[in-house]
Amino acid sequence: MQYLLLSLLITLSFECFADFNRNLRWSLDASARLNHNKAIDNTSRIYALGIDIHKVFNRSSGDMGYGVGQVYYTKLSNQIPVPFLFDSKDDGDFIIREAHLNYTDTANWFPNVRIGHFTMPFGLEESIDTNGRLLDYHHGKNLGTKLDWGLSLNKVTENVEYNVSYTLGGKDKAKSVNGSYAVTGRIGTLSHHDFIMGFSFYRAEIDGINRKRLAIDWQYYWQTWGLLAELALGEDDKQAMQWQQEKYALLELNKTALHEQLKVYGQVIFTDKEFQKNTEKLVNIGLSYQISTQLEFSLSGRIQLNTPEVGKKQQLTRIQIRYRY
Amino acid sequence: MKKYYMLLILSLFSEHLDAVAYCSLRDPVTQIKQLYPDKTNQLSIVKMVDDNIRAQVQVALPRNDLHFSELGQHTLYIVKEGNKSLGYVHVRSEQSEWGLVEIAWAIDKDLRISNFVFQRCRSPKKKVAQQQRFRDIFIGKNYQELKELLNSDGVTAKEEVLEQAKPAPELANVMLRCALKTLLLTEVLWGEELKKY
Repeated sequence: MQYLLLSLLITLSFECFADFNRNLRWSLDASARLNHNKAIDNTSRIYALGIDIHKVFNRSSGDMGYGVGQVYYTKLSNQIPVPFLFDSKDDGDFIIREAHLNYTDTANWFPNVRIGHFTMPFGLEESIDTNGRLLDYHHGKNLGTKLDWGLSLNKVTENVEYNVSYTLGGKDKAKSVNGSYAVTGRIGTLSHHDFIMGFSFYRAEIDGINRKRLAIDWQYYWQTWGLLAELALGEDDKQAMQWQQEKYALLELNKTALHEQLKVYGQVIFTDKEFQKNTEKLVNIGLSYQISTQLEFSLSGRIQLNTPEVGKKQQLTRIQIRYRY
Repeated sequence: MKKYYMLLILSLFSEHLDAVAYCSLRDPVTQIKQLYPDKTNQLSIVKMVDDNIRAQVQVALPRNDLHFSELGQHTLYIVKEGNKSLGYVHVRSEQSEWGLVEIAWAIDKDLRISNFVFQRCRSPKKKVAQQQRFRDIFIGKNYQELKELLNSDGVTAKEEVLEQAKPAPELANVMLRCALKTLLLTEVLWGEELKKY
């Protein structure tokens, strides 16, 4: 009898699993990153092991929406400066990257509704995913955080796509911290075209710092070449609660091989702050090589062209191996 | 008992293989709307293109292989107008001299190509694909009929097809390979399930 019940239970589990398994994508995602920061003569490592899930929910009349969940155990080793999510240079913790549901079964004129922890819809990052990669568009540095908990209204229409969010400003915490909040939005031309243009806005108070930003971004692809740019203007009160203007410009040239397994890119980034004498000029050069469907190798180097007012010039080399199973 | 647990574990640890993070996945909603202007929604069915399927493609279409981005879990969309199914859409990519070309193929219930739009095509001659003469190479044809257009080398189209595709014969070659793989995979992976719709 107990075997019969157990068999029934297992059979039912398979039924439930089969239903949950329908339209489910999931991968184990592991990466090891080696960083050498020459300015402070420090070598560090970051290890991440996590699960990446995507599930489409539907009924017989069509799709209702989809969910994305990415949870990673991340371990630092001698990482300086210590990222805000960690307590010490050798700390380890579970980190939620993206975790959201997007309800898409809405009328043509009505937006999709996303809720959860997602990348702020601003600039180039809106159409180019950089989570877990060395490639970066300085989203976090520019906005104060890359991901936040909240709600967004989004849609891809016949001619434009938009995404506007209200988030709580708690970054990894699903709550407002001391009145924190962020309103972010981007409207742009369709992101599968060869020429893409977008306008973004941002108003937020995160970590006690107020930020305002307006930005324009564009991408142009010609055969295997890509030319990308983002220009953001705004102000923040980082300096002694006084508003200061800030300009930020990024220019990227990239080239992919015909089989698309190899991609190389070069970026120049200018950041100009009102109360800072010099414009910060950074150059990033990187490559990524998709060795197989599972395995990716990437490499990037950063140098600072100008001499900073304090400290040494930034000089950072990073190597990463990423395996998705 | 052990067999059940093994089966459970195997089912958990199979059927997933994707190079890209899932937060970057986007449904081709604009292309589906272009292909089926009356559509109200789409129904996604996700299936795995694995090494076994890859081997089947190589047997059916010798000298053709699946690029790494063509492996992994892929979606076929059943396009809906209310509860009525209008047809299917499947997006596949094909390597070309201009990088990957991604084509959203509209497929009717008899598994014939009914229309197509580019999701990405960086050929300088992509506008040629809007001409009816060029579109007629593919539209209305099923897998067998398209396969008959292949040259004996298995990767290029026959001379008369290339003539019809002028001034973009290279694009026609790329699209023919892509269309054949699309219809083959649709039949092999989704064929049984599509009978329900």
